[in-house]
Amino acid sequence: MSAAPQPDRSDGLLHFADELQGVSSVPEAAVPGPELHLVTFGLDREEFGIPIGQVREVIRVTDITRVPQARQHVRGVTNLRGRVLAVVEIRTRMGLPPAEITPRSRIVVVAVHDRILGILVDTVSQVVKVPVQTVAPAPEEVLSANTDYISGVARWNSRLIILLDLEKLLLLPE
Amino acid sequence: MTTGENPFGELIQEYIVECLPLAEQVGDAFVELERRWREGDAGNDLLRQLKGPLHTVKGNSAMMGLTVQQSVAHALEDICAMLASAPTPNEKMAGLLVSGSGLLIELVKNAAGDPDSDRVAQFLKRAASFRAPAPDSAESSAQAERRQTDRRAVNTWSAAGALSSNVIRVDFRRLDAMLEVLGEGMIEQAAVADHYRVLAAKIGATAELADLDRALAAVQKTFKQLEGILMETRLIPISTVFGRFPRLVRELAQARQKQVRVITSGGEIPLDKAVLDRMGEPLVHLLTNAVVHGIETPDERTQAGKGAEGTLILRASSESGRIVIRISDDGRGLDEARILAKAQSLGLEVSATDAAQVHSLIFLPGFSTAEQVSQLAGRGVGLDVVSNTIHELGGTIEVESRAGRGVTFTLGLPLTLAIIRSLIVEVDRERFAVPMNHVAATVRTEPDTIHSVNQKGVALWRGSPIHVSDGGALLGTAAAANPSRRFYVVISMGNRRRGILVDRLIGHQDIVVKSLDPTLGRPEVVSGTTILGDGRVACILDSVRLLEQRMSA
Repeated sequence: MSAAPQPDRSDGLLHFADELQGVSSVPEAAVPGPELHLVTFGLDREEFGIPIGQVREVIRVTDITRVPQARQHVRGVTNLRGRVLAVVEIRTRMGLPPAEITPRSRIVVVAVHDRILGILVDTVSQVVKVPVQTVAPAPEEVLSANTDYISGVARWNSRLIILLDLEKLLLLPE
Repeated sequence: MTTGENPFGELIQEYIVECLPLAEQVGDAFVELERRWREGDAGNDLLRQLKGPLHTVKGNSAMMGLTVQQSVAHALEDICAMLASAPTPNEKMAGLLVSGSGLLIELVKNAAGDPDSDRVAQFLKRAASFRAPAPDSAESSAQAERRQTDRRAVNTWSAAGALSSNVIRVDFRRLDAMLEVLGEGMIEQAAVADHYRVLAAKIGATAELADLDRALAAVQKTFKQLEGILMETRLIPISTVFGRFPRLVRELAQARQKQVRVITSGGEIPLDKAVLDRMGEPLVHLLTNAVVHGIETPDERTQAGKGAEGTLILRASSESGRIVIRISDDGRGLDEARILAKAQSLGLEVSATDAAQVHSLIFLPGFSTAEQVSQLAGRGVGLDVVSNTIHELGGTIEVESRAGRGVTFTLGLPLTLAIIRSLIVEVDRERFAVPMNHVAATVRTEPDTIHSVNQKGVALWRGSPIHVSDGGALLGTAAAANPSRRFYVVISMGNRRRGILVDRLIGHQDIVVKSLDPTLGRPEVVSGTTILGDGRVACILDSVRLLEQRMSA
């Protein structure tokens, strides 16, 4: 889980984005096909997308209480209208240094199986609709053994959105 | 009765609520009767006691048109009448009665569904074969007794009628919802009190503020009263769980050709339904273990110089605000040699001379020493599951074993779950709640009161040296121990004590316990979370685990 391979991965993705840009000169289909409805958020220079169906709400970061001896990649717990919400530090889960809370930080409240939990992100950009046909697998060269939570990449305007499989990302083995 | 549409609607629930305890009472009495028979006692008093409940079940079933339930109750009633006049105590008869009452319990429980008609027909056929024409001389007394029973049933009905004006049935989920709302109210009240303190610090003492303070205190008192009433409403007697055990143990023992007698006491002791509901499974687990692994076969027992019949004692008692349940058997005791061998295979370092330490190993995950996987016990779900459930409930579990003499499990449980009185402390600006039930004292640290022994903190508390640990190091709020902490909290359980150094004592508060989200993993020192008056979440520390935590500071 060192941070060293990180630049390679994002460089790889950016390179891949350039390639996709080249491909996108092909005229779009006249009839829009099925679309993915995503909530996107940013971590460092990368943009991620999760299906809107799994997102309950996005909240501002207030106090996050640390929990002694909690599992790795858990930032702590926060009060969501009287409910105690576990907040996952997905940055460390992805091999990045822990988040610094800024005014732009947000907690994305998601439902994974029966669990409701929060993921701490640097910024939340927006809700986008991405044609399914623009989704491609991420190039193998940028993936590694512990990145199986990346289910693909989607091209949207000039951006490249990394699609996340929340089950694989968040439901760590007990 | 047919499936689907139920013409009785709510009435069927009332029938079940009334008849199920009676049917269970009948089942328990038959198990007891069987035991008495083995001792050569005809058990006529038991047979007399049975008539009332059987008659009521029969009558209520008839009223509801539940003919199957009615005929089974009737058959049992007839056999009891026959036994009272012509005792035929034998194993076959006992088996018939116990299985018949089991069937009746099932039928009453599932009164809204379709009965298992094959089983019913089988039972009725068997019952008929046992029924012999009663001799003439007994006829008159049996009739007289029947009349008496009828009168008793009438009395029962009128008593129930008198009660109905004061007793209503309420879905337990409503009580849960009430408690939840009350908890929120208490949190909001604490928030108002917080604002008050901030305001008072800003503008100083005024008459208006004093009024506000009094009003706040009154609100708090009212909430406390409401909590007390609500908590009392949630209590049900332990016998509702204990009552199932004599039959369960009988079945287990019979399947293994063992003889086990169950003695229960303290069934009248009340416990919060939420606690009791979760205790059923661990208790069944412990009883199953006792019958399957603890108590020996009659031959083994006789060879060991014990009575052929083993004894299982279930005792509940109320001890200083906690409920203590003890489960004792007089079996062979824990197999220390096998526990030690297992510990070695798991790479654990254990001193073989410390019996208590060896015994407590059985609560570790994956520590099942059962030789063979049986259907009823030793499926790998070991005592660690029992121990976890008890800890989740805020309770304790201990085991005591004497070779050849038996095992006793002692469970300590809180009376109630949802709201606990806690001490709120601050360590490195983080707040934690310490449940008051294990806090013995809070002490202000003076210079040079914490000594160092083997690089660990030791203080003299009430004349005895106790280990004092740095709260920050223990809870991970600081990388190293901080010598400037001003207080320590003495946590005590049994004869174990430990001091935890903290920065500030915030105060006492009734906190609403929120269970730990599984996403957080299994932090040992934290038993749950709560929301404080200022809206922040605080972790509730697990005092028992804090006592056990090993640390260098």
